Amino acid sequence: MGLLAEKDREYLKNEFQALGRPVKLVVFTQERECQYCRETRELSEELAELSAQIAVDVVTFDPDGDAARQYNIDKIPAIALIADGPEPVDYGIRFYGIPSGYEFSTLIEGIMMVAAGDSGLPAELKKQVAAIDKPVHMQVFITPTCPYCPQAVHLAHQLAMENPNVKADMVEAIEFPHLSNKYNVMGVPRTVINETYHLEGAAPGAMVLDKIAEALA
Amino acid sequence: MVSLQLGGLGNQPEAYDVIIIGGGPAGASAAIYTARADLRTLVIDKGMTAGALGLTEKISNYPGVPGPISGAELTEIMRQQATSFGAEFLTDKVVGVDLQSSPKLVMAGTGSFHTRALILATGSMGRTNIVPGEEALLGRGVSYCATCDGAFFRDQQVAVIGNTDEALEETLFLTKFVESVDLIVPTPTLKARPGLAAEVTEHSTVRVHLGMRLKEILGNGHVDGVRVQPRIGDDAVLPVKGAFVYLQGAKPITDYLGGQLATNDEGCLTVDRDLQTAIPGVFAVGDLLCSHMKQAVITAADGVIAATGVERYLRGRKEARVDWG
Repeated sequence: MGLLAEKDREYLKNEFQALGRPVKLVVFTQERECQYCRETRELSEELAELSAQIAVDVVTFDPDGDAARQYNIDKIPAIALIADGPEPVDYGIRFYGIPSGYEFSTLIEGIMMVAAGDSGLPAELKKQVAAIDKPVHMQVFITPTCPYCPQAVHLAHQLAMENPNVKADMVEAIEFPHLSNKYNVMGVPRTVINETYHLEGAAPGAMVLDKIAEALA
Repeated sequence: MVSLQLGGLGNQPEAYDVIIIGGGPAGASAAIYTARADLRTLVIDKGMTAGALGLTEKISNYPGVPGPISGAELTEIMRQQATSFGAEFLTDKVVGVDLQSSPKLVMAGTGSFHTRALILATGSMGRTNIVPGEEALLGRGVSYCATCDGAFFRDQQVAVIGNTDEALEETLFLTKFVESVDLIVPTPTLKARPGLAAEVTEHSTVRVHLGMRLKEILGNGHVDGVRVQPRIGDDAVLPVKGAFVYLQGAKPITDYLGGQLATNDEGCLTVDRDLQTAIPGVFAVGDLLCSHMKQAVITAADGVIAATGVERYLRGRKEARVDWG
């Protein structure tokens, strides 16, 4: 039996018919010593079975390897979600830890977004995001049981899609306790911007952009 | 095999005709009319004691219901009436909406739902005041979501403050992780449904403090305790590492709208004569509006007006069809 229920497979198959261009999930894993590595890979592979537009590339994680360097991956399990095709585009959309529970919907939304080639952000926000001219690294800490978290993660991914200066990670707080400790995560969603600035909760786009502006000032 | 509990999918690919957020007298009355008009109706509500009527103990002036009857019982009668016409009820918390998409999108804990029309009936039990320390320690031990954050408090002592079904359910959820829970209940009795109240009261790691008020959340950088005022006697400090707050107030609850509809100075939504907001197909009723006195019968009437407005909106009729039945 797979990880996906039959009902969800059918639903997703139908949703994925709308995928306009191919996407690739580059999954960084390691069969041993990694909690949820196997499940993250299997989940990605099961999604790929549902649409010809979804490909999976499974990479054995080597922190010093070319792939880890290319995708800037420093922990596993990790998924880099990229636009595939003759000219692949890496928007800097990452999932660290398994996107399970409520966060599964964020992975699906991310796939739909990248395949559509449109972040879906309102025009006014797009204009503001386009103006970001310095590197922004967003780490959105989540737990799989948090219904507010997908909004925060997806927004960060939308910003990453709009501007190559923005990189956005989902980080499953329980799987990476050392990061939760480092960034003082005791509640989720918590968005850490460029290491030192942070936001609590699923904040609206304008508020997140204000915080980014603060971090870049 | 681990259970990944993959969730949050739009598990209802077919759109509802109308989703009603809030199952109090306004929402339940709207559901009676929309369901009876053969509109596919879903009511999403946090729980029986989430709203103003659900917390009311004795009602004797609701026309046609001699009483005295509790608000929860009266609400239940309305819900059963709506269910008998085919309305579906879901106990869940709405965390966001997209009012501009077509169909409109309602995001709740258990999944996302699509709908052609929406009636907002979330009432006015939103908090107005926060206690000292609450804002500064948000995300540092102060939380409004135990299911989100419970795992950060493994083997620690925490407090839950509130008296709704949600507060009690979150208390039980926390017992899976924490050493013990102090449930601080501002009122002299528990108002949750009896089975839930009994489960909490009898739980070996839950201490229920009735008639106790939260005064302050203490800590520097992270929560160290809560200062509380018991019914009798001096303030006390409970040494907890987490404070999960589910208190209520008197402000219209509109946070889940994410600013998609403007509110006035009092935090209320504005609507036209049909109770439709500025966004077509989105109606607002009951205590979300500042226009009338807070009485169950009046908000119930609001629900009916909005329901007929929804029918007109969906079926393109200019005038409401009067249902004399």
